[in-house]
Amino acid sequence: MLKFCPKKCFRVTIDAKNNMAAAMELYCWKGDWDLPSVDPDCLTVLAYARFSGAPLKVHKITNPWKSPTGSLPALKTKDDGCISQPHKMIIHFRKQKYNADYDLSAKEGADTLAFICLMEEKFLPALIYTLWVDSKNYVDVTRRWYAENIPFPLNFFLPNRMHSSFLDRLRLIKGDNGLEPGEEAEKELYKDALECMTLLSQRLGNQTFFFGQSPSSLDAHVFGLLAPLLKMKLPSNKLQQHLKSLDNLCHFCTNILTLYFPPEGADGPSRKASSPHGGDNSEFDNEPHKRRNQILSVFVALGAMLSYAFLTGIVSVHRVDSHHAVQKTEAVRIGEDEINGED
Amino acid sequence: MGTVHARSLDPLPMTGPDFGVHGDDVEFVEVQPESKQEVLENKDVIVQRVHIDGLGRTKEDFLGYEIAELFTAKNLIDVMKKAHEAREKLLRLGIFRQVEVVIDTCQEEDALPNGLDVTFEVKEMRRLTGSYNTMVGNNEGSMVLGLKLPNLFGRAEKLTFQFSYGTKETSYGLSFFKPQPGYFERNFAINLYKVTGQFPWSSLRETDRGISTEINFPIWKTNHTLKWEGVWRELGCLARTASFAIREESGHSLKSSISHAMVIDTRNSTILPRQGFLLKVNQELAGYTGGDASFLKEDIEIQLNRRLFWDSVFSASLWGGLLIPIGEKPSCIADRFYLGGPTSVRGFSMYSIGPQSEGDYLGGEAYWAGGVHLYTPLPFRPGRGGFGDLFRTHFFLNAGNLCNLNYGEGPHAHLQKLAECIRWSYGAGIVLRLGNIARLELNYCIPMGVQSGDRICDGVQFGAGIRFL
Amino acid sequence: MSLAAEAFVSQIAAVEPWPENATLYQPLKDDQILLSDHASSLAVQAYLRMCTLPVQVACRANAEYMSPSGKVPFIHVGNQVVSELGPIVQFTKAKGHSLSDGLNEVQKAEMKAYMELVNSMLLTAELYILWCDENTAKQITVPRYSTPYPWPLNHILAYQKQWEVKRKMKAIGWAGKTIDQVYEDVSQCCQALSQRLGTQPYFFNKQPTELDALVFGHLFTILTTELTSDALAERVKNYSNLLSFCQRIEKNYFGDNDSSSIVGRISPFS
Repeated sequence: MLKFCPKKCFRVTIDAKNNMAAAMELYCWKGDWDLPSVDPDCLTVLAYARFSGAPLKVHKITNPWKSPTGSLPALKTKDDGCISQPHKMIIHFRKQKYNADYDLSAKEGADTLAFICLMEEKFLPALIYTLWVDSKNYVDVTRRWYAENIPFPLNFFLPNRMHSSFLDRLRLIKGDNGLEPGEEAEKELYKDALECMTLLSQRLGNQTFFFGQSPSSLDAHVFGLLAPLLKMKLPSNKLQQHLKSLDNLCHFCTNILTLYFPPEGADGPSRKASSPHGGDNSEFDNEPHKRRNQILSVFVALGAMLSYAFLTGIVSVHRVDSHHAVQKTEAVRIGEDEINGED
Repeated sequence: MGTVHARSLDPLPMTGPDFGVHGDDVEFVEVQPESKQEVLENKDVIVQRVHIDGLGRTKEDFLGYEIAELFTAKNLIDVMKKAHEAREKLLRLGIFRQVEVVIDTCQEEDALPNGLDVTFEVKEMRRLTGSYNTMVGNNEGSMVLGLKLPNLFGRAEKLTFQFSYGTKETSYGLSFFKPQPGYFERNFAINLYKVTGQFPWSSLRETDRGISTEINFPIWKTNHTLKWEGVWRELGCLARTASFAIREESGHSLKSSISHAMVIDTRNSTILPRQGFLLKVNQELAGYTGGDASFLKEDIEIQLNRRLFWDSVFSASLWGGLLIPIGEKPSCIADRFYLGGPTSVRGFSMYSIGPQSEGDYLGGEAYWAGGVHLYTPLPFRPGRGGFGDLFRTHFFLNAGNLCNLNYGEGPHAHLQKLAECIRWSYGAGIVLRLGNIARLELNYCIPMGVQSGDRICDGVQFGAGIRFL
Repeated sequence: MSLAAEAFVSQIAAVEPWPENATLYQPLKDDQILLSDHASSLAVQAYLRMCTLPVQVACRANAEYMSPSGKVPFIHVGNQVVSELGPIVQFTKAKGHSLSDGLNEVQKAEMKAYMELVNSMLLTAELYILWCDENTAKQITVPRYSTPYPWPLNHILAYQKQWEVKRKMKAIGWAGKTIDQVYEDVSQCCQALSQRLGTQPYFFNKQPTELDALVFGHLFTILTTELTSDALAERVKNYSNLLSFCQRIEKNYFGDNDSSSIVGRISPFS
């Protein structure tokens, strides 16, 4: 038997419960590209919290060192301390009676577990590769985003550290210590991921959510992993193209976004402004003051040189009448010769 | 009275490590002419004192042995000769950069009228030296970085660290060498090493990590080496297409072996000798000191050189080897012998003779190979006296055979097996000598006696290496 | 297996029929093989028997290093070498033998998902218990793993492997788990499998598929292997339909051999 819980019901519940207890606080990465968060794990937890109606105070930050566990996402709870793994967070929500899987049958519960494993084994490595290891994507999109959004001075070394840790993780998961960004690794990883997406699509079929009309934890996991791939603008986008060709998965993600994460309007206006443009202006758009900065830097340099020249006496300006002008000119020339001689 | 300076060296055949001075050239001792030289020659002299100036960390008692001979000199020419020999001995210790000899009359109070003072002015080597070389091995090149600490504790101990990064191989090694005071030829060394090699002819990759200790000592005219070696060998397939026989050899094994080698080398050079002969016999017994490789291995190398008319040299060489596995386990591919290539039987591809499986060569347990060469100077002798002397033309005839033996059959059957299906080749080419280190060859070869499964390289073949058949 | 190699293998595989002398290689059965390897090997054997493809089992001390991917078991068919169940299933498919042809798309998706569930939960739990639980590692795993090698190689190889497994556990987030949490995960996995199986004879009703082979391989090995404690086997025994499932497959596909061939009780005191 399926229960249909309209959206409004949840909204009211959240407000009511918010007034009661301080409840849980979630620290997660900031959002962009129409997403509530750019990190798949954060998205999963956020989605599950919305699905199950858990009252959550969300802190969208860009500095992982500010979170209570030193990494994001992090869930700060009243009694159980701080949790950093999404699985454990969902278990915590369930313990607090916020359970989106309440209506699932035993078999559906088993399927949930199986499909989550499938995604993590087959899809997640390819996602890590495409975001963090593939050279073009990493440099143009991922590293740029993290470098621009993480506060100084962490933005100099944190993205690189994350890159190395993701590459190591990928190598260990795949059991291949020699994995390098390149065509062969890409092909193998993507093949598994494409198959996985196709299987998910087949399992979803025409339904709104995986198990009927109301979302469950499997939906949260799938959303968390697919939404970044769908929404981020990636130059190297083979994986993205395949996802976009699977209509039901795209609808699934956009559906969840519109239903549970209505746009707040504050996420990256500069991105929104630049999205209709092509790639040509993107560089210019990213630095709207580029021309101004260039001219300014030329003037600053000139000013510095001139002030140095004046202050050290290489060049001096005297008010003379034309009578002495000739003598002065000669004096300057001699001075110049001396300078040249010194050099 | 004038002073006599002894300069440069007439090198003996290389016996110890790291002489520091090489060269086939011979320079003679120069003597500043003295009007009274003739008188001195017949006069009896006594060496009263020998000084060694410039010692830092070297222990004096250690050097006493090298210069002891000097005191037995009877006349001036004897003193000069013995001083020259002592200088050589000091240099071959490998702890001095420079040794100069000054012979003067004794100036002390107790000086005898015919007393002489001999002073060795030495410059010790620095405590730590680094080096960067490129090396040419058997058909591969590598970049070698070295760190050397000569004369570590004052008695010519030497600690060396080497890191080699090559086209096929990466390796590093640490070695400690200590000679016996007074008998430099008797010495012992300990080595720790890690060597990685790739062998595309067998689709095999091998990593060896090992430790070895060896003792060298001369007996009469021969040089003996006793060595214990413990090696952890890791074998793996080089490519996915490796044959299953090679795949079966993959894995780890431990070899702990004792070996003995005897060398008699009277050649004047190792690379392009003009005279002399070489006899090298090596045996190795593995398995009785631990490890899981168990075999007895014999290896022999003979080379004869003789000068002929018109500056040409005739050279004949013979190699042979036998591997007898002990126990039921079959021999490991890393212990077997290989044959073929520009450094052994020319005209065949590298190590591509003998038993093979799907194109991967497995090596054999017994082999023999022989070659006769005629080395002549380049026709029309271009660049004579200079660059042209490094080149030689050579005409060769090589032959050899490699197979596995069933040791239950008896020696007669073995000899028969080694004598049938002999591979041989002949041809001519040019040889270039690279210092005293290596040799380059460019040959035109015609292989014959090719059996099915062998890979040949007929026509032009290029080879670079240290040890050639 | 890289894509190009796979395509090549499939092409060659399709041409030749299954030979009589196909061989499966695994580590030495009595002394060396560990729980996780035995489970994988049994899964492949079960699968090949279900496809009625004959295969001989050969035990080699260096099977792990012979394998092209570093994992056991692997099969040597003709002159092809294929390791691990996934690629072996594809290999046999290229030769025209397949157990999952009769499934529809949704069922195939579910089958793949459950196979991943077993791999990522059961197999990882087995590896954790063998290598990261100090008790088991010291008493059972390390002595068994190092049997074929002489001193000091045995210690070096065993600890090298242990370090590798621990690194992997850290990468996938299992390093912080306690042994009880791992048993919990095993229970959860068994529960999911049990619920999916329900009262059917096989996971997809009448006919066994590769999923059945995989589940049988792992569960049967867990049930018949002696470890330092029975906790792992007990968790599986809670689900009676899984027990009868194992017995059914054993009877149907391994019943003709003498019991010593698969019911090799891996005793820690050999």
